[in-house]
Amino acid sequence: MAIRFKKLSYIYDEGMPYAHTALDDIDLDITEGKITAIIGETGSGKSTMVEHINALLLPSKGELEVLDHTIVAGKKNKGLKLLRKEVGLVFQFSEYQLFEETILKDVAFGPKNFGDDDATAIKKAKEALKLVGINESMYETSPLDLSGGQKRRVAIAGILAINPSVLVLDEPTAGLDPKGSKEMIDLFISLNKDYGKTIIIVSHDNEMVYNYADETVLVAGGKIIYHGDTLKLFNDETLIKEHHLLEPQIVTFKNQLKKQGFKVSDDIRTLKDLAKAITKEIRK
Amino acid sequence: MGIISVKNLTYSYDDKTNAVDGVSFDINKGDYVTIIGHNGSGKSTLAKLIAGLLEAKSGEIYIDELKLNQENIYKIREKLGIVFQNPDNQFIGSTVKDDIAFGLENHRVESSKMQGIIEEYAKRAGLEKYLEKEPTALSGGQKQRVAIAGVLAMHPNIIIFDEATSMLDPKGKEDIKALINELHKDKDFTIVSITHDIEEVLHSDDCIVMNKGKIFDHDLPEKIFSEPEKLRKIDLDIPFDLKIVEEFKNYGLKLKSKTQKEMVEELWQYASKN
Repeated sequence: MAIRFKKLSYIYDEGMPYAHTALDDIDLDITEGKITAIIGETGSGKSTMVEHINALLLPSKGELEVLDHTIVAGKKNKGLKLLRKEVGLVFQFSEYQLFEETILKDVAFGPKNFGDDDATAIKKAKEALKLVGINESMYETSPLDLSGGQKRRVAIAGILAINPSVLVLDEPTAGLDPKGSKEMIDLFISLNKDYGKTIIIVSHDNEMVYNYADETVLVAGGKIIYHGDTLKLFNDETLIKEHHLLEPQIVTFKNQLKKQGFKVSDDIRTLKDLAKAITKEIRK
Repeated sequence: MGIISVKNLTYSYDDKTNAVDGVSFDINKGDYVTIIGHNGSGKSTLAKLIAGLLEAKSGEIYIDELKLNQENIYKIREKLGIVFQNPDNQFIGSTVKDDIAFGLENHRVESSKMQGIIEEYAKRAGLEKYLEKEPTALSGGQKQRVAIAGVLAMHPNIIIFDEATSMLDPKGKEDIKALINELHKDKDFTIVSITHDIEEVLHSDDCIVMNKGKIFDHDLPEKIFSEPEKLRKIDLDIPFDLKIVEEFKNYGLKLKSKTQKEMVEELWQYASKN
């Protein structure tokens, strides 16, 4: 197991009159090597949860195991810097954090900060930029001259340059146009399938989650409501209604077909496979 | 001439490439028009030119038969309201009420009349319960409603939505799309919506597709979507319901229905026959 929350609670402003429990006694195992989505309404605790994974927040109660590290509430935890090298966190609208005068310098900042000499940092930055599909001819241009989608990929390259084995992305496609979104999705699928990285995505975009996440965690009121197979979650009409989740379009269509009397397998993910199965049933 | 008439419009940010390149079109009064295209296609630049926020390099724009120029700009701005992408960047007042009042004060509306106007438009935007709240305490969709109420209170003939839903969560998006449809019902306004949301286009009367600064297509939404391959060449796609029809066609079933409910029934009829 890559990441394990054990009876973990997080309380903002603990001991103050306005203390707020954002995570309430949660147990969760996130599987290594998979794409896991974390969904839930605004304020459900999703971001608080992922900010624990690279120790930006430390638990108020309980403990957390991340790769070889164990973080225990109330104890002095060592090796957090190393942990932050192994878990890369890409914030929402991460492109706002670009600051260097050239793309290459911006991406090299991370490895340098972790102690690499200039030459090594530049080498790592070049590799990361190649990974996110930013052309060499652009290395010396200002990050501010890029399109929104490109800027965000440069921001991700900045994290990839420190070569984390777990990559946490908070709303990676928010605000991008359809083409930018598609490129972003292709990027994290490739990082998962071709480079074996564990991917954790916080998202409101249930279409994307349904199409690409192996597993999904549903958070509500600081508790884990569901963790498991993504398709199973979206096939559960009661859970969807109870938590006001927006149904992916294909699920709505599948449910209508089922209600009409068609046999529709729960495993069907794409419209192409659905059309194939229904046509087959009609021609039986 | 349409209520918005654009003739051979060109604009460049850097004098090297044209962000808007020889664009001409007319928009009819009372229509709901969507403008789609990728980032960098020129659609937002086009909106800014129409609103008089940028000055064209060449070409002409007429709003309600008035030529957009230095002399007419203030008259034109009274006819036109804009709702921008990020609701957080648009607030001025400390309560919803104050925020809606700002535009009115600017237009020197008598304070005795103001309360009534504010209440009327807050109601129209579904905000009657939130008048005393701080705008920053609202959800994304509600914030955007405050921006819309502020625009409505100015009695514009034309409202431009510049990617007004793109930064909202799914609920906020649906919320604002429903409000736009509601506003379109009585055709009091001409609505121009710059959008990435292909599903929204189906609710509009007219659609302009921009690509590389030029008009790629301008037609009824159903006509635009009747050639998926043409759209896919510029990385755009068709709405989900039309994709259903397309996929079944690939397997030799030609669906005649328009809505999902009818499609399901049509498929069931095929199944019952066999």
